[in-house]
This record gives sequence, structure tokens and C-alpha cells, in this order.
Amino acid sequence: MIDFSLSKAQQAARDYAHQVALEEMRPLSLECDRTEEIPESFFWNMQRRYWGGAAAQARAYGQDEGVKQENLLSVISQEEMAWGDAALATAIPGPGLAAPPILSQGTPEQQARFLSIYMDGQLHWGALALTEPGIGSDVAGMSTTAVLDGDEWVINGHKHYITNGARADLIVTFATIDKRLGREGIRPFVVPKGTPGLIVGRIEKKMGLRASQTAELIFDNCRIPKENLLAGRGEKKEGFKAAMGTLDATRPMVGAMAVGIARAAYEAACEWLREELPAGYPPHKRRAWEEELKELGQEIEMARFLVWRAAWMADRRIPNSKEASMSKAYAGALVMKATATAVRITAPGEESERKLLIQKWFRDAKVFDIFEGTAQIQRLVIARRLFPNIDIP
Amino acid sequence: MLDFAPTEEQEEIRKLAQSIALDHLRPHARKAEIEHDSPNELWLTLAQTGLTTPFPEEYGGSGPLEAVTYSLIAEELAYGDPGLALHIVGSLMGPLTVWLAGSREQQERYLPPFGNSTSGYLQRGSLAFAERTGGYTLADIHLQARRTSDGYLLNGTKRDVVHGQRADLRVVLARLAEHESEGPEGKLCAFVLPGTQEGLSIQAEEEKLGLQAAPSATYLFNQVQLPAEALLGETGSSGVVRAATLYQILRAAIACGTARAAFEYCSAYARERIAFGRPIVSYQGIAFIIAEMAMKLDAARLLTWRAACSWDRGEADETLIHEAESAQRQAVKMAQAATTDAIQVMGGAGFMQDHPAEMWMRDAAAME
Repeated sequence: MIDFSLSKAQQAARDYAHQVALEEMRPLSLECDRTEEIPESFFWNMQRRYWGGAAAQARAYGQDEGVKQENLLSVISQEEMAWGDAALATAIPGPGLAAPPILSQGTPEQQARFLSIYMDGQLHWGALALTEPGIGSDVAGMSTTAVLDGDEWVINGHKHYITNGARADLIVTFATIDKRLGREGIRPFVVPKGTPGLIVGRIEKKMGLRASQTAELIFDNCRIPKENLLAGRGEKKEGFKAAMGTLDATRPMVGAMAVGIARAAYEAACEWLREELPAGYPPHKRRAWEEELKELGQEIEMARFLVWRAAWMADRRIPNSKEASMSKAYAGALVMKATATAVRITAPGEESERKLLIQKWFRDAKVFDIFEGTAQIQRLVIARRLFPNIDIP
Repeated sequence: MLDFAPTEEQEEIRKLAQSIALDHLRPHARKAEIEHDSPNELWLTLAQTGLTTPFPEEYGGSGPLEAVTYSLIAEELAYGDPGLALHIVGSLMGPLTVWLAGSREQQERYLPPFGNSTSGYLQRGSLAFAERTGGYTLADIHLQARRTSDGYLLNGTKRDVVHGQRADLRVVLARLAEHESEGPEGKLCAFVLPGTQEGLSIQAEEEKLGLQAAPSATYLFNQVQLPAEALLGETGSSGVVRAATLYQILRAAIACGTARAAFEYCSAYARERIAFGRPIVSYQGIAFIIAEMAMKLDAARLLTWRAACSWDRGEADETLIHEAESAQRQAVKMAQAATTDAIQVMGGAGFMQDHPAEMWMRDAAAME
């Protein structure tokens, strides 16, 4: 039955994440953005407060409700976290983007082996290495290679723009086992931190999400055990499907983060109009802005619903490529619009923490129209799903 | 708990509405646009399904429907033809407002003719909402009602009243200022209007841009005296808000159906049409327009469903108004963009009356 009300678990996930965002993220936000560094205390607080308490509680409620809802709980939390600070949200300890391919393509033994390290209460991260200097969305053109040599895979190649790449304990790396196979030859491999031949290159300087670590990784005859190939069920397309399946799960999360930033900017602009309006500000201008914000508020709600629907489909195991792309494309464009509007509205005001945050969100927003597939790639995915029998190059 | 799937029962009703839309609405759309009316057989068919009598059985109705279910129906009808969908929904809002806001006596008086098994399908209702000074938001309602010794005195305007001229039951939304302290605006209320009354002028709106299949009228009120029993229910009850927001939600659903009709029609065209040796949809310049349409349609539909869910849950007036008006605003805006883009996808053919796209673009523009 169509229902837009949150269950107890969903409400709890939202409340806890909001509290964490408000208390642990907002106070650090500007400083971390300036220094491009995150204090270690933040990681420990998140480890304790979020993974230890809140998320566990929400998961427990979720189990009581007897419905599979990990994706929904995750997007609900992500929106709140990104409302707090999207860069800090990407740095929360945990397997992160390494989890989806391990869960979807790993054997039970591999899942236990790789994911158990995140359960010891210490600080651990995961990363997903897909992008290369020469390829982004066109994964079929991947040049990183994996060659089986006895009991080991030997990986050679160059990855970049890898979130948490330098601190990750496990990196799920996509590489081709045979370039002639195109995308059919792509496989995911788990590379542990400290493996000889795994070299961390430069850490990128970015327009926004500056506190989020974006690393370059070089694989120079990097040898990993044969058992670190995530082979799925051994079907031909598994490697490529893993890469794409990962995106179907992560795009709604990226969409949720975009919604969170958009909402933060929207709320701040509304507050500025209420609380910080300079004396002598023309009333007709204020009314015009209020109209524009009203419209924006409605668009934020639509973006959130697209995200929720895509996550709900993932929980129900309904194929959701099209809907995941819709949520990402819509939210990516919206966050740009919301933050740009907030910047324009508050432009005449004095410098304040609120204004600096709005400017930070504006810088953070742009990448949401790009990573996990640009706005154009999302439209391509949607169009290909709408017209499955037509070749849309 | 969040859920985005209609129930099996809703899915069945939706399919029924879709088959009526494709068999009876789409083929009659051009004729209805020219004649500003619908064939009686259509109403007979609809009456047999019970879709046009969603009020209690005791008045001859087929039982109340949930707003979510009715949104699904309205979208399907508009997918058939937006003008005819509004023709049907506009009529329905007359008896529905009486059911939602009227007293028991008023329900007993006004509903049975609509539920009559042999002649009910000939009855038309109407609900006057928009005015000369605004659109379909509650804040734009200014028709003023003042209490007099033996009734109410009305002054103001109404426009775009579907079936306003020939309706058997005319309901109008107004503002009732009982006490000076309530300010000049007063509380939202609804009246049943007699066909002829001194000071009341009802003028058919003959030349419209779109939605001609839903014949509409303008009302001009100049010191119109109504008896006390013309007021539906009691002032301050939320029945009037529920009726007004239901109309907004259904108008949003009609906008979604209009957009879906345009989206599917231009998709089929783009699949068949060959340019430079390939179907035009294989070009990203065309494919992206259609992808965008699909995305924004889904977004607006979700916003509409959310408002409908809140209506069914009986949320507070303030919430209902916010959600219904958001849904209507976004769905209409989306439908205007989708129908305009559909013509663009079709190129010159889209501009021709051989195809319905140009009609849908005019229809969407006329929803303001």
C-alpha cells in the first residue's frame, strides 16, 4: 500500500543521524573544510555514537518490523548526515563503498573474511576503485589489468579520485582480466592496505568536499591471493554487473546526500530571510525570494521521494537502474539550484557563519552532478532502460 | 512505513480506468474538444463501473474511495484525455463536496439524484474554486459571504467552473466573515448555488485555449442573497478544506496523466521516426529530453501520491493544504514542460492536429 509515513525504525534512523549531524558534524564543518583535515576524535565519536549506538538501534527496530529495509534506512540517514556535512559523512569509519560489491559478489566465506575486520571496534575504512585517469563512466575501456600468476593475481594500473583511498583497509579494485573481452572481462578484486605494490599517490585538492579524502592509487605489480577475486557465481558478466550493481545501490545514497545539502541550504536561506535581513531590504524582493524558496522546498520533497523509491526498490530486489539514475540526476541538479539560490539570496548580508556554510555547500554541491555518473550519464541510463530495444550510443 | 506499491485492488481499479480511458476517452477526445461536451454513453459506461459515484451506498453511491485510489483513476482518465478527465472529475466534485462538507439533510437532498441507477449518469455536478484574481490555491479564494438576517450575501467572482452552466448541483467555495475580528477574509466555506438568482450572472467560457471538453463558466456575484440552508455543513469544519484539497490532488493527478500521455506518445513516435538512417530516439539529443520527462513525471506523481496519502490518513488541514498545493503546482508545471517537449520531439508532426500532442500542450497550459 502506498505510504509516505516513516516506520519506527525509519524515524529512529532519521532522528539519530540528525542528532549526530547536529552535534558531531556541523561544529567541525567549516574548520575541516579549511584545513582539509579531520580530527581523529571525530572518527572515534562516529565509531562510538553512530555505528555503536544509533545505527544498531535502528537496525534492531528494522528487524522487528520484519521487512528488508537496509537501503531505505541508509538513504534516510545519509540525507541527515549530509545535512550536517557531506565531506565528513564520506569519512565515517566503515566499509563504505567497498561493502556493496563484497555483499553482492562475495561468497559467504569472503563476506565473513573481509567484513569482519570492520566489527572490531577500531577505526577501519573501505574504498572502491573504479575511476582511472582515462575512464570514468566508460568502464569497458578500463586499462588496469589483473593477471593470474600461480596462486596470486598480479594487478597493474592507475586509479584516481578514490574516496578514502589512502586510509582504506580494503580497496575493492576493478580490473580487466582480458582487454579483448571489453566490459565482460572486468572483475572486482579486494586489495588490502599495505600490500606491496599498492602505492598511494597524491591527495587531490578540490573545489568542495574538501575534508573528504580523494586519493590516487597506483598498482605496480601488486600481488594479492587468488581468493581475493570477488567471483560472484562465476557467470560471464558478473564483474561488469558488480560494477553496475554497485552503482544501482550507491546512486540513491549519493542522491540522498544531495538532498541533505540542498535542504541545509534551503533552511539557511529561509532563516536568513527571517533573521538576518538587512535594514531597508525591499519587501517585494523578500516576497520574490520567499516564492522561489517555496518552489525549492517542493522540489526537495520530490527529490527525496525519488531517492526513497529507488532505495525501496533495492530493498525489495526490484531492478532499479532507471529509478536509481532518476534519483541521482534529479537530486544532483537540485542541489546545484538550491545552493546557488541560497548564495544569491544571502549575497547582500554581512559575513556570518551561516553565509560561510552556504558558500561551502555551494562548493560541495557541484560534484553531486558528476560523481557516480554525471547528469548526462544518468540520462543515458534512463533512456536506455526506457528504450531497451534501441541502441542509444 | 514507506511503500511505493499500489495494493492489488488499487491496481485492478487502475487497470479498469485505463481500459475506459483507451476505449472511450482517447477516441472521443477531438470530438469532445469541438463539441465542448462528452457523449452520454461515456457517462453510462462510467456509471456502470461505479467510478463516478464514490459516495456512500445509502445515497446510491458505490462506496467512498480513498484519495490515493482516486488519484490513480484520475491519472488514467487524463492519460485517455485530459479534457474529458476534467469533465468527469469536475462533475464529481459537486456531490463529493456535499458528501465531505454537507449536513446529513443536505447529503440526503443532493446526493440521491447522482446515485439514481437509471438517471444518475445524466447528472452533472460542479465545484467553483478559482476566481478572476487568482488560481487554484486556497489563499486565492476571496468570494465574500456576509451573514444577513435570513441568510448570506455573496459578492465576487468565480472562473473556470467545470459544468458551471448546465450543472444540476453547483457548489461554490467562499469566505465567510461572521465576526469583524476574523478579518476581511473570513473562514473558508461552501455554498450550494441555485441556477438563477438575482445578481448572479453565469457566463459560458466559449473560447478556451485548452480543456474544451470540460465546458466551463464564469460566475459574477453582485449582492447575491442566498438562504441560510445554502451553506454546506457548519462553518469551521474541515470538510470544505478536505473537498478543496481533494480537487487539487485530483487536478495534480490529471496533470500527471496528461504528461504520461504526451511522454508515451512522443516515445512511440521517436522509436519509429527515422532520421539520418536511425530512429531519432537513438540520438542523445532526443533521448535525453524523453529521459528528463520520465524523471520529472515520476517526481510529480510521488508528490501527488504523498498528498493523497495524507488526505486518506486525515492529516491536519494545514498539512493537507501545503501538500495538495505543492502537488498541484509541481504536477501542472511538469505537465506543461512535458507536453511542450513532446511536440519538440515530434518536430513538425507535433504541431499538426493529426496528432494529439498539440491538444495536450494546450490542455496543460489551461490548467492554471
